[in-house]
Order: sequence, then structure tokens, then C-alpha cells
Amino acid sequence: MNNSAAEAVSRKKSRIRSSRGDQIFDICNITFLTLLMIVTLYPFLNTAAVSLNNATDSIKGGIYLLPRIWTLDNYSYVLKEATIFHATLISILRTVIGTIVTVFCSAMVAYTITRQDFVLRKFVTIAFILTMYFNGGLIPNFLLIRDLGLLNNFWVYIFPGLIGVFNLIIIRSFIEGLPESILESARIDGAGDFKMFYSIVLPLCVPVLATVALFSAVYQWNQWFDVFLYNSSNIDLSTLQYELQKILQNSNASLTPKSAGDAFANANNPGGNTVTPFAIRATMTIVASLPIIMVYPFLQKYFVKGMTVGGVKG
Amino acid sequence: MESKPTMTTSNLVLPKKPTGLKRFGIKLLEQRVLVLMSVPFLVWLFIFKYMPLWGWTIAFQKYKPAKSFSEQKWVGFDHFNFLFQDERFIRVLRNTIAMSGINLVLGFVTAITLALLLNEVRKVAFKRIVQTVSYLPHFISWVVAASIIQTTLSTDGIINELLLWFGFIEKGNEILFLGIPEYFWGIFGAGSVWKDVGWNTIVYLAAMTMIDPAQYEAAEMDGAGRIKRMWYVTLPGIKPVIIVLLIMNIGYLLESGFEPQYLLGNGMNIDYSENLDIFVLKYGIAQGNYSLSIAAGMFKTIISFILLFGANNIAKRLGESRLF
Amino acid sequence: MKVLTKMLRLKGVRKKVRKKLLLVCLAAFMIFTAACSKNSNDGGTKPSDATNKPKETTEAKTETPKPLDKVTFSYFNGVAAAKDINTNETTIGKILEDQTGVNFKIEHLVGDLNTKVGTMIASNAYPDVMIPDAAIDKILDAGAFIALDDLIEQYGPNIKRVYGQYFNQMRAEDGKIYFLPFSNTVGEYIPDPNINQGAFWVQRRVLKEAGYPKITTLDAYTDLIKNFVEKHKDEELTGMVSLTHDWRFFATSNPPNHLAGYPNDGNVIVDMTTFEAKTYAADDNTKRWLKKLNELNAEGLFDKSSFVDNYDQYLAKLTSHKVVGFFDYGWQFGNAQNALKDAAKQDPTQDDFVYFPLPVTFDGQKDQYLDPPGFVKNRGLGITVSAKDAARIVQYLDNLLTDENQILQKWGIKGDTFEVDDKGRMYRTAEQIAKIDEPFNEKFGFKYYSWNWPLYAGGSFPDGNSISPGSQPEVFQLSLTEKDKEILDKYGVKTYSEMFAAPDDRPWYPAWGIPKEQGSPQQIWETKKDEITKKYFPKLVLAKQADFDKVWEEYLAAFSKLDTAAYEKWTTEQIKILIDAAK
Repeated sequence: MNNSAAEAVSRKKSRIRSSRGDQIFDICNITFLTLLMIVTLYPFLNTAAVSLNNATDSIKGGIYLLPRIWTLDNYSYVLKEATIFHATLISILRTVIGTIVTVFCSAMVAYTITRQDFVLRKFVTIAFILTMYFNGGLIPNFLLIRDLGLLNNFWVYIFPGLIGVFNLIIIRSFIEGLPESILESARIDGAGDFKMFYSIVLPLCVPVLATVALFSAVYQWNQWFDVFLYNSSNIDLSTLQYELQKILQNSNASLTPKSAGDAFANANNPGGNTVTPFAIRATMTIVASLPIIMVYPFLQKYFVKGMTVGGVKG
Repeated sequence: MESKPTMTTSNLVLPKKPTGLKRFGIKLLEQRVLVLMSVPFLVWLFIFKYMPLWGWTIAFQKYKPAKSFSEQKWVGFDHFNFLFQDERFIRVLRNTIAMSGINLVLGFVTAITLALLLNEVRKVAFKRIVQTVSYLPHFISWVVAASIIQTTLSTDGIINELLLWFGFIEKGNEILFLGIPEYFWGIFGAGSVWKDVGWNTIVYLAAMTMIDPAQYEAAEMDGAGRIKRMWYVTLPGIKPVIIVLLIMNIGYLLESGFEPQYLLGNGMNIDYSENLDIFVLKYGIAQGNYSLSIAAGMFKTIISFILLFGANNIAKRLGESRLF
Repeated sequence: MKVLTKMLRLKGVRKKVRKKLLLVCLAAFMIFTAACSKNSNDGGTKPSDATNKPKETTEAKTETPKPLDKVTFSYFNGVAAAKDINTNETTIGKILEDQTGVNFKIEHLVGDLNTKVGTMIASNAYPDVMIPDAAIDKILDAGAFIALDDLIEQYGPNIKRVYGQYFNQMRAEDGKIYFLPFSNTVGEYIPDPNINQGAFWVQRRVLKEAGYPKITTLDAYTDLIKNFVEKHKDEELTGMVSLTHDWRFFATSNPPNHLAGYPNDGNVIVDMTTFEAKTYAADDNTKRWLKKLNELNAEGLFDKSSFVDNYDQYLAKLTSHKVVGFFDYGWQFGNAQNALKDAAKQDPTQDDFVYFPLPVTFDGQKDQYLDPPGFVKNRGLGITVSAKDAARIVQYLDNLLTDENQILQKWGIKGDTFEVDDKGRMYRTAEQIAKIDEPFNEKFGFKYYSWNWPLYAGGSFPDGNSISPGSQPEVFQLSLTEKDKEILDKYGVKTYSEMFAAPDDRPWYPAWGIPKEQGSPQQIWETKKDEITKKYFPKLVLAKQADFDKVWEEYLAAFSKLDTAAYEKWTTEQIKILIDAAK
């Protein structure tokens, strides 16, 4: 069902004349991709192993694929904070809303700049592209956000990123690549611009929209700098990544001395340190990335479906 | 190319022969839906991206955040001079361009190659698994990734163990990979590819869904093998996307990243690892000197614009798709 | 055109999909608005931590402040020290709130300090109380702290008692006091029995095998290591490593200063008679130290990976049992030492691998590894211009500085976290020590109150008890294992710090704590010096022995481009000022 066209073609072909070259190609290809998988899977497995290993023991190094002394302590240390769950909710909200909004808005603008006759086309295109290469700086941006009343406000996660220029350009390229005949016949049917965009272009762009959605979702999910800058004093607007940053820094701090003397008398107690920054970093990598990684297989089906769409032929 | 609709509309307008502003106004009115679909976002763009540009004035001041604009002390091009006249500037710039160039070339070639190879996999399940796994390292922060790279390259790391095992080196002569300056760019390039190749293929895979399968069939009729089809059908099919991305990235030539160089850099390889961003961090941000970092940012922007327009022009002359 | 019809049919399907999507979208929005209405409320009241206060202030401003009017102040800490909390959620904080009616909402820094402080300054909106840590000169420069002199005069008898002797050192150029530092000593100085500061460390088994020799010179120390490694060839031991990673590089660049018999004054050695500050990064002490490392490297006794290893790799090596010796500050490899001690607690034979500190100098001169009672002048807590009721805050701070509340902050509650014997000595039972772990520290509030407030930082109470439980001999002895006692006994000492000479009086100590303006020539000098040393030290140590002098000349040439004389002159001036202020 999900067979791609290329696949169908090559299968037919292999039936006719299973060329030796093709077979060799396949073997090489699969071998290469398997090797690639091993190399790219390793860091994740390694991180997972460290996160499941006793923190004090991890200091010794030498953890590769499996933990040496299994423990869930690192996870309970990270997840024990009551704030984590509310923060996760906010992360999900900003990811869902931010993604939907930016995909829709970017696609809409992208559509307008594919219309060759649009009088503002060149102006809009260049105005957007140029912004990829400059930045007014941290403080002017901060003051702007403050003056717009977006400090300590959920919408600061959404508005500044309303349109991603990169996404815009990718969608534009995609629309430009659509078969003209479809657009043309819709136009002859008398579809207005918004209808064209909404009913014809958007559905045809699902593969690229899925791609862009993935990019935005990952961006939104991983963001913590805006929380730090704008919403740090409102715990109700904190996100998962930001809370994890806090936990990591605390685990760092419990090891650094106060500037002088032995202010921290109780640190005399060896073994009191059940966590280390090294272990916490690994744990938070897993905690933060697993949810967002799950998004991919879900979106992946749109890439494949896109293939089938293209593959439908009479 | 897609000029049909254009022709029809302009044909309607032309007979009246209005000129200049008026004609523009009429068109604008005619295209009010398109205007409504884009102009609100132009306003957004102006507020969020262009308005903060007043901050560039900071580059010409001895900026103190506590003072109001009129109280700031103006210093002209002092910060630019500090930047350009430092003896390390050329070296830092060289490193930035080299690493960014390596990233650009290597990043494009590997991601496109991987996308092509994935496209040729027949078993959907396998293809999906490879795709998912290959993009995993993207989710590992550079801090964690750098620590894995350092462990791998250490004297008792896997690379040295392998070299020992194959007999390329002798015990006691393990290679101090991160201590050899000339190796740094290579390590950086390999590390970046490893971390992001899977992620970078996504956009090409999406682009491949647009290729009309009829083309594959036609190519097959002509007796083209797998490699030839990759070369003559798939690659041209995604060429517009490749070129647009290429132009965009050429504009980023002075952005070579910051974290990997900072994390993998050390005193031994500093001559090859220190890039513009690290330099600005050390002498700008870490010293509380906002002005220097803004000056560096402006410098980068100017170079970016030159490169961007240059690359776009070249693409135009070659008759390729272009960015704008 | 067949494609087209397919496409259009497909459009129908897509439409359904999109309807679903829209529904999801809508649902998300509704959930969100529900959540948001709450949030936006918070958003409304939040900045009003500031707007809130005036209300309470007016209530409180009945001239005679009624201490039981509850009020919450915001408190920002530029060091990530613990999780954010309201002080009244801790045991200590609750008691203090009962006394004063004041609660602090503590927020810690999460990202970059300069960025955070920069945005505060640019928008002129500060928390009521803050510890700007390294950004303190920016805060002062921005005029964000209010002068405390009058407030102290009016509301701060205890502040005057505790800090009075330091007032001269605390004054800014305009003669006013803007913040309260933390590292003041009260009563008699009691050194930390543990070595949290610098030392040359060696595996205990090495000392055991050599019959617990008295090691005081660098040569004796390296010979000790050399002999041990030679005798244990089959173990593939590493003689020495050195920590160089990132900002921790000082663990490699500071030893010459210690070897010459001086404490950690940062980049300078201060002469004890002329009080001239001299940098040592390119002097004979450093040359001698690096030459030694070079020699060790040539003999295969130094781990050349030291110059590329990161901090985690360094700690891993220290716990691997393979590294015989190294120089470092105790607090910096605490994680590794703790892992080794833990193992030794479970299996006493592992005690061999725990590291023991030695007072090593170049020629056996008097060592100065132990920190003299110092006063760090460039860190502290101040009240900002945004604070609406500074008087109330000063009263709270003053109230902290009573003996009773200092016992509460440091020792806790009698019968719960400490005991007093019939001679009036305070101690902790083994159970109490075991009970006070990380979570307990947070819940009880030690984590928030044992630092970062005006306090008795070190020294002793009037009755002779140590202010810090960790420095109380009774508490320290309880923390020792049998093996610990054995090795201390062999050296005829009761604590680790007794291995070292008592610190001389240095009123300017620590010289690294002298405030430097950001972006000043002094700071630029330090940044450049770091860069040059980080680049040349590996070259010097890893060079062929014959080439050492040649590389040293190259290093001197690079170093001479810095305006070191100006840096030394400036530091000397500052030290003279501090000496005068202490008189």
C-alpha cells in the first residue's frame, strides 16, 4: 500500500532483468545505511545508558551501551519537581499552537509570493529574506517585547515567531513546483486567491507542511531562551526545557564552592551527592527529547503519503 | 514560465493605460485578497524585525544600558577598529570561513546523498527506521555530543584503539587528536555531519515527493540504471530546493556556529578552533561590552548581504531558480 | 488531465483531514484559553510584585513597622545555587518570617548572567533584593543599588556590630556602602579541617608503601611518584595529570604561586614586606614548574592528554585508580574524591586510592596553601532602587545577625539538627549527620541560609563553638573513617589542615576579589593572559627537553606584548588601599 512509485518501478524492473548492478547497489546501500544507523544511534544509547547508571559510578567513565549499576535515581531526581508537569503542559501548548500558527501563516505568505503577478511580490520576498541576516540585538528586542506588553505573557512564545523565513522559502519552492495545470484549472473555475490557497494549494503541500511543522515543533519544544528572557519570574509560564535547565544548574551549583571558606559545612558528608551534572545532563537529554522524537514517525507518514499522491497515475 | 494568469490580468489592465502610482493602486485594489494575505505580516515583520534595528546605533556608542539614548557616549568606529585591528582578527576570520565553508559543502553533499540513498531503499520499514534513527543525534545537545566526541578521540578512545589494533600506531604513541591544530576543522566537519545529516535530509525527502513518477518510468524505458535515475531524475527534481537553500546558506558564511568550537576547542588547537563568535564572546559579551558584539553583528550582516545578492545574481545568470 | 481529477478527488480527502485538524486546533485553543485566562491573570499581577508592594507598604508605613504584617519581597540570586522557593516554605525561613513577617520569593539565575542583568538595567526593573554576583559592577554602575549607610544607622545595630570592622573596605568610591558581602569572619578564626583549597595530592597507598615520609619539596614529591610508578610497571600507571579544561585552567597555572609559598591571590604574588604585587605567569617560578612537568613528560610520567581532556574525563581519570598524583583545589575534584571515599567506606582496602593532600613547595619553604581569613569585597547582597520598603528589608537582614539566628542558620534547631554537651560544645550525632542530606538541606533551609545573606561567615561564637558545623572538631571527627584516622595519626595530626602551615595575616586577601570594572584594561589583560598561557603551556610541557628554553623564549615574547606593568601597578595600588582600609 505504501509502496512508493520508485519502488514499484524498480520492482517491475528487477523482475524483467534483475541487473547485477542493481543488486550490488542495493547491498552497498543497505550496508552503508546500517552502518550509518549504528553511528547515529550510538550517542542516544550512550546517553540513555548514562542516565540509567548510578551517578557516582558514572564519574569513572567507561559507560558505553549499557549501564554498569542500574538505577532510576537520576530520573526521580529530575522528575520529582512538582513544577515539571505544569511546565510540560506549557511546552506542549506552545508547541502545538506555535506550530499550527506558524505553518499556516508562513504558507499563506508563501502563496502570495508565488503569484507572479502580485505587485508586492518582490518587495514582500526581499523584506522577509533580509531579516534572516540581521538582528537588532538583545536589548532592543527585550525593550520591544516589554513595550508590547508581552513580558510574563504566554503569547511571547507565539508572536515573535509568527513566520519563519526559512519555512516561508521552503514552502514557496514547493508551491512553485506544483503542476501548473492544477492551479490553472482551478483558476478557470473561478477560485479566488484565498480559496486557491486554502482549498487547492494547502492540500497539495502536505509533505512540505509536514516538514515545516516538524521544524517548528522541534524549535518550539527546545526553546528556553525566551522563557529565560521574558517569563522567568512567572513559574506558571515556565516550560519543560527551562525547568530542566534549572535542575541542571542546581546540580552544578551544589558542587561549586561558595567563594570562601567552608560555608557549606554539610557537604562534608561524602556520598551525600547522589547526582552529578554529568548524569543529570544525560537524563534531561532523554526526558526532553523523547516526546519530540515521537513526533517524527507520526509526521513521516505524510512524506510517504505524499509519495503515493504523486504516484497515482492512470 | 507560469505567466498565463499574469497575462490575463495584465491584459485586462493594460488597455486603460494608467501610469505610475495610479496603475499600482488599481492593481493593489484588484489584488486586495493577496494584499490582505500578506500585508498584515509585513506589519508584523516591521515591528518585530526592523524596529529593533535602532539597536545598531549601540555599535557606535560606549553603551551603558542604564543610560537613555541621549546620554550615551558616541565613539564612532572605535569598536569596529578594535575588531579589525586586533592581530587575531584575520586568523579568527579565516577559521570562521573555513569551518563554515566545510560545513556548507559537507552538509549539502552528505544530506543530499543520504536523501538519494534513502529514496532508493525499497523496504519501507527499513527506510523509516533509518530515517528516524539518523536524525536522533540532532536532539543531543552539543554539550553531550562534544563529550562523546572527546571520549571517542581520547588516547584510550575507540579510534586510537582501532589504530592500535590495525597496527597503524604503536602503544604509547596514541594520537592526541584534539591537540593537533590542523585536525580541528576535520573533526568539526565530521562531528557536524554526524550530528545533523539525518536532520538535513528531511527537507530533500519532502522535495522528492514532488517528483512525477512518470519521469522515473520514462527514464527506465530509456534503460537508465539506479544511479543514472538518481542522477537524471531525482537530483534535477530537487534542484530548485537545493539551489534556494544553497543561496540562503551562502549568506550565512560568517555563521560557523559557536558551541562545537567552544566545547571542542582548547589551548592546543586554539589557532584553528577560535572563530568570530568566540572572539566576540571573550572580548565583547564576557566583558560586558554590548557594543562590540553589535559591531561584529553588523559586520556579519554586511558580508551576508553581499554574499546573498552575489549568489542570487549568479543563480539568475545561470538561469537557475533563485531566492528572490 | 487524469492527474488533475485524481488531485481533485484527493482534495476531498484532504478537506476531511483538515476539518479534523481544525477541530484539534480549536480544541487546543479552547484548552489554552482556559489555561491562559489563569496565566494572564498572573501575567497581570506578576510585574506587580512591584505594584503589589506599595499597597502593603502603605499599610506597613504606620511609622512603627508592625513586624507581623506579612510582606513578600523578590530576591534574585545571580548564582544558580538551588531551586526557586519562597523562604517561608523552609523551616528556617518560617521561623524568621514569624519573627519579622517578611518572606522572600527567591529566583535564581538560569541562563547567562550578563544577559539577565543587562535586561534588568535596560528596563530599569529590578527585584527588591539581589545578588548580582559577577555582574555587580554593572549593577553599581547603573545605580541600581541604594546606599545603605542611613538605613544601617537607623535599623542595623547588628549589621554595625558584625560588619563594622569592614566598613572601610566596603565603601564605594563615593564613600557609601551599597551592598553587604558574605565572607566576614566573626570571633576567632577556625580553619576548615578539610582541604577544600589547593594542595598536591597523592594516592594514600603511595605514602603507605614509602613508609609515610614527610614530603615538603617538589622534587621529593615527584620522586615519590616516580619510584612508585617504576615499582608498579605492570599496572600502567599515570604519574601526574593536570586539569586544564576551560576556565578551570588555573589548576595548572596557579601551582607556581603555591610552590613559592604563597596563597591563592589569583594572578599575582604579593610581597610580604613591600606589598608589591607581581604577576608570576612568566616568572622563574612558573618556568621552574613547567620545566618540572616537561621533565616528567619526557620520562613518561605526565599524561599529555591533560591538555585536551575535559572536566568529566579528568574526574574519570582520578577515579580510575591509575593516577598517582596531581595538583588541584579540593572543591574542584570533590566529586571524584567522594566517589573514592564511598568505595573505601564499603571496602577498606579501597582506601589506598583515596587522595591525600601534601604541603609541597619548591624548596621546602613555609607553605601558604590554607586560605587566610579573607574578605571577598566584590560579591554581596544589595537592595535595589525598585524596592519599595528598604527599611523593612534592612530590619530583616539585621535580625539575621543575632547569635541565635546565626545558630539557626548554620546549625539549625537544638535536638533536631544538633546537640549541646554538658561543656556547652555543640555537636551533631551520627544520625543527625546522616539525616542532613540534600533534600533535607532544601526543606530545612540550610541550602538557602548558610550563604547568600549577611551572616557570620566563618570564625566562632562567643562561647567558642565554631560558626560552621563543618569546622567544629567534634563534627569533623565523626566524619572520619578508621583508615582516615590511621593516616592522620601517622602524620601526627588530627585534621587534614594541620598538615599545612597556618596562614599569615594578609588584609588584602584575596587579591582576586578586588573588583575590576568590566571591559577595563585589567580585565582585558587577564583575558589575554589566559589565552597566551593556555596556548603556550602545552607547548612548553610537551616540548622536547632540549627545546624547552627555546619555547620559553617564544612564550616570553608573546607575553611581553601585554601591558603587565600597568596591571601590576594597578593591583599594587588596590592592595595598598585595602591595607590602609584594614588599619
